[in-house]
Amino acid sequence: MKLGNYQVKLEKKLKVTGWEAAAISILAILIALALFSLIFLQAKVNPLTGYKDIFTYAFADQFGLPLTINRAIFILLCTCAFIVPMRAGLWNIGMAGQLYAGALGAFAVAFAFGAASGSQNLSLSPGIVIPLMMVGAALGGALVGAIPGFLKGRFNTNEIVVTMMLNSIGFWLVAFMIKDGGLFMGAGGEGEGFKLPQSLYAPQILGGPFTILLALGLAGFLYFMFARTRTGYQIKAYGLSPSAARYAGISPYNIPLLVFIIGGLLAGLAGYHLFAANPGVYKITQNYGDFGDLSFYGIICGLISLENPLAAIPIALLFGGLASGARYAQGELRMSFGVDYAMLGVLMITLVAFQFFYRNKIVWKKSEKEK
Amino acid sequence: MSMVEMKRGDMVLEARGITKRYPGVVANDHIDFEIRAGEIHAILGENGAGKTTLMRILFGLTQPDEGEILIFGEKVNFKSPLDAIHHGIGMVHQNRKLIPAHSVIENIILGHPSAGRITNLKRTGEEITELCTKYGFKIDLKAKLWQLSEGEKQVVEILKALYRGAKILILDEPTSALAPPEVEKLLASIKLMTGSDLALVPFITHKLPIVLSVSDRVTVLRRGKVTARLETKNATEKSLAKEMVGREVIFRLQRVEVKLGKPILQVESLSALDNKELQALKAISFSVHEGEIFGIAGVSGNGQQVLAEVLAGLRNATEGKVSLDGIDISHSSSLERWQKGMGYVPAERIDVGSIGDYSLADNVLMNYYFDDEFTKWGILDSKGIRKLTEALISEYDIAAPGPDTTAKSLSGGNLQKLILARVLSRKPRLIIANLPTQGLDVGATEFVQNKLLEAKKMGAGILLISEDLDEVLSLSDRVAPIYEGEFMDIIPIEKARREDIGAMMAGLKHQAVKI
Ligand SMILES: Nc1ncnc2c1ncn2[C@@H]1O[C@H](COP(=O)(O)OP(=O)(O)OP(=O)(O)O)[C@@H](O)[C@H]1O
Ligand SMILES: [Mg+2]
Repeated sequence: MKLGNYQVKLEKKLKVTGWEAAAISILAILIALALFSLIFLQAKVNPLTGYKDIFTYAFADQFGLPLTINRAIFILLCTCAFIVPMRAGLWNIGMAGQLYAGALGAFAVAFAFGAASGSQNLSLSPGIVIPLMMVGAALGGALVGAIPGFLKGRFNTNEIVVTMMLNSIGFWLVAFMIKDGGLFMGAGGEGEGFKLPQSLYAPQILGGPFTILLALGLAGFLYFMFARTRTGYQIKAYGLSPSAARYAGISPYNIPLLVFIIGGLLAGLAGYHLFAANPGVYKITQNYGDFGDLSFYGIICGLISLENPLAAIPIALLFGGLASGARYAQGELRMSFGVDYAMLGVLMITLVAFQFFYRNKIVWKKSEKEK
Repeated sequence: MSMVEMKRGDMVLEARGITKRYPGVVANDHIDFEIRAGEIHAILGENGAGKTTLMRILFGLTQPDEGEILIFGEKVNFKSPLDAIHHGIGMVHQNRKLIPAHSVIENIILGHPSAGRITNLKRTGEEITELCTKYGFKIDLKAKLWQLSEGEKQVVEILKALYRGAKILILDEPTSALAPPEVEKLLASIKLMTGSDLALVPFITHKLPIVLSVSDRVTVLRRGKVTARLETKNATEKSLAKEMVGREVIFRLQRVEVKLGKPILQVESLSALDNKELQALKAISFSVHEGEIFGIAGVSGNGQQVLAEVLAGLRNATEGKVSLDGIDISHSSSLERWQKGMGYVPAERIDVGSIGDYSLADNVLMNYYFDDEFTKWGILDSKGIRKLTEALISEYDIAAPGPDTTAKSLSGGNLQKLILARVLSRKPRLIIANLPTQGLDVGATEFVQNKLLEAKKMGAGILLISEDLDEVLSLSDRVAPIYEGEFMDIIPIEKARREDIGAMMAGLKHQAVKI
């Protein structure tokens, strides 16, 4: 029904306050955990034991917590990479491709200064090369991000299709670079990239990678950008009404390009974090594709946080924790492979379903109350 | 609605004590309202008085906080428009809700309660044709919606409601987008409807002459309350205006004579295409001077919209040159034009002129974000913009709780005032005003027209585009009737005769009317 639709649409746009959104997300998480109990039961594991294992490992274990934080940083950066274009009404589902490009960018810089040789002696001091690697990562991501942004602005090409295609191109590009005699191939030649010399390991703070400050700082900066700056205002205006934005002189070419460059840059930094700052890694790993898949949780965190970069912080932490905790529980409780991804999947579906019911419930609730 | 035997004058719809509160406003304050069989019932009121809200309640689009609705003495409780439709109520909205790519007949059937079961398109077509002949509507059922004029689209909306069996037809400002001859036709059809069939029509409009000529009774709202219920035959334009506004309204505009300065806008053989890639502007040339109001009179769809968009930098010209203050701006972006002193009031206030989800302050910012006045190092001066918004709200008497309300909660007329306030507050050198008073009440229309005259006195050049011939004639210094993308003539106001211009708007060549 058109009129029916009209009403739903109208109510859908109602502002959801931050606290309501938080309450509903927490409820959704509890329900997701309850649902996931079935998987424990089916594996003949007491769900309470299962969850205890997951949460203690994720948030109170000396090995688990760093893992959680590492993943949370990664997811937070990917979430921000999704949020920025989303504020302009555009879907960035190309974080995977962008983070591959970021990783290649970072390692290209390291390579250029002789890091692949295995020697510790670089042609420049690490104090310069490390920042340059980050710049390389940001540039790589931004460059790949610019493609869908440019095509959208100039030719109104569907950004979803373009970002998806770039994901597979990025995947194969990394394979080309690190496998079978690729330029960035590691010494072992087992389908891995070369390992960074120790001097190029990213600095640490409090035993964790410094990229945590980077990610938190960027989330705070983006929040400020959308709340208070001219650029944020223009992006939001374009997202809410492209025709009104055009009337106000906001360029329909530049905004898509800009948001995708920022998005790509953030995803590129996620790639830097993952492969060049993550303790114990410091190389493009064989299973880099799995992390590309993990970047998709940026989409879901972005939607749950109602496109608010600050709200994304606790959500990214939770997802990071569940990802690392479930992986651990899977081994510990001898459950079948893929429990971590199943867990994130259930959580994701419940949260999305709740968003939907939530927004439609408002319509229904309103008409009840107002009588 | 159960088809009880009806006599003219029987009470059909009664609303008692209807109250609807929104944050900061009581949109409807214990409204009692009734309509009788066979009457055309005009609903009058200033912008934001609560007319649309009341009609939305009768149509089940919103639920009242208090009060009840009776149809034929039976209490009803509408949860959605579908309930209302089942009770024989139809509504024609101000903002059309039709699908451009579909044909007339498809649009009429779409959403019909038994749409799934309508298999015999030929029978349906015949039934609709019957409705048309009965009420004097002329329309090609196979035409696609985008091919129709505004007036014809209005007819489709009405047919759609009638075909669903509506006996109570709510019309919310049905004439504001129509050309004068289309208005005449619409009113004639409405009279036919209420004649033999005893259908009843609550009719919202700001045009007092229309109220006086077609309606039987009038209900006047002011700030959510009913201030008068009268028989139209006992009313005059003056008395209605007084009930609405609460004071005497003077209907005479004080023309201001301003010595014309140098040309601000110069347009040389400008041509452009419309959305269907058809030639919509055919080598138009004219200029607008400092202190001059240049009026373009035309039936909508004759190129004036395309002209406004080309001048505002929102559409490319295929040929021609535009200069502002002597500088060629033919290739300037719309932002550059704003910065060079052009101000554009678009006709589409919801889709183009405002952002519904943005607060009023952010809507004002739409014409200011690029100025250094309200940004420093790219950071917005939220306090400053709030202050400006508050000032505009009070200067233009916009009914809104404050600068943080969203634009979509404003009534139609108040949104229009906000857009005008924002554009005029920049003190542009050249104002392009496309239908600046559409949907405004008498008081607000007078206010806005005076604002335009004020800008003229300050030396601004104004390009006024309007379908209201009275407005064009009372404000302009020169008038250009536009027809199919061409000016039929450019006439100084002293020589402009109403009949001639009306004829030229209809496409009669100027040679024929000039001696
Ligand atoms: N959804 C809403 N949320 C908040 N306030 C609203 C909403 N809808 C209407 N209002 C307020 O209720 C009042 C009445 O609005 P309404 O649209 O009924 O006015 P109106 O008489 O139709 O005016 P106009 O002639 O300008 O169309 C206005 O002050 C408006 O701001
Ligand atoms: Mg209204």
